[in-house]
Amino acid sequence: MSEVRISAEPRTEFGKGAARRIRRDHKVPGVVYGHGNAPRHIALPGHDLMLALKTPNVLLSLDLGGETILALPKDVQRDPVKGFLEHVDLVVVERGEAVSVELPIHVTGKPAGDGLLVVDLQTVSVVAEATHLPEFVELSVDGMPAGTQVLAKEISLPAGATLEGDPELSILRITGTPTAEQLDADLAGAEAELGIVHEAKSEPAAGSEG
Amino acid sequence: MLIPRRVKHRKQHHPSRSGAAKGGTRVTFGEYGIQALEPAYVTNRQIESARIAITRHIRRGGKVWINIYPDRPLTKKPAETRMGSGKGSPEWWIANVKPGRVMFELSYPNEKTAREALLRASHKLPMKCRIVKREEGVA
Repeated sequence: MSEVRISAEPRTEFGKGAARRIRRDHKVPGVVYGHGNAPRHIALPGHDLMLALKTPNVLLSLDLGGETILALPKDVQRDPVKGFLEHVDLVVVERGEAVSVELPIHVTGKPAGDGLLVVDLQTVSVVAEATHLPEFVELSVDGMPAGTQVLAKEISLPAGATLEGDPELSILRITGTPTAEQLDADLAGAEAELGIVHEAKSEPAAGSEG
Repeated sequence: MLIPRRVKHRKQHHPSRSGAAKGGTRVTFGEYGIQALEPAYVTNRQIESARIAITRHIRRGGKVWINIYPDRPLTKKPAETRMGSGKGSPEWWIANVKPGRVMFELSYPNEKTAREALLRASHKLPMKCRIVKREEGVA
């Protein structure tokens, strides 16, 4: 994955008033920490950062007053309704360093027959070199029969990445779909409890037209 | 219908409706979701009605998650009753939903059908909603 260069500027004033002033200037307040150094408070350009964060585990190359810092996003705070960035936590990484990241799982294909795909985990935790982080893990369910379960240890990870955490974690399952009768019985029971009555479709009387 | 098995206090104060959702604001289990844009009390009947609307539309081949739970009782005094004489009797079970909360999630192979199903469900809910899709990246 390539690096994304972003120019950052140090922050000298703190608190909600200062943070709101920064946001009004279309910037995002943030903090960079890691490797035993003291945290550094920065402000980042809002639009550039928003575009960069669309890529999972993007490697950011921060230009901070002539100094270049490599960092990975650790935590992003967003407005729950508007979705704009409120604050970002970045963790410093070095070239050649192994870091732990969550990779999204892209499921492809269609299960065999009437199998229903149930994804238990949307991401998998891996350890990889900071400057060569894979973007995602691809997992094909093509032709898998109902009753199949895929565990974390069974997925093929991209080159250079190793699994972190419990290898017995369930990633996805193929379950049987309920039959039409089971579904109708469930819905009829639920509707009866709510008092929902379906009107019978009345057929137009013969000879009513003309 | 969803209803708590037992509660510590049968009659409670009205839950606070101010502020925005602190968590559960992103689609995490399925592919699509219904996100609240306004605060509201969602009753267990409305939740069940929305679930039925989704299931009726997608039929088989999809999975529905309900991310809210009606764990707060609301009381009501009978009509034409004088004030006083204690708090009314529990009448509804509600989930206190704040803006930004993803209430329902759906996993379904066809996006168009999934959106139609969620739109039907959103008509059963007492607030403005929007349909959202799962995003990747840091939360």
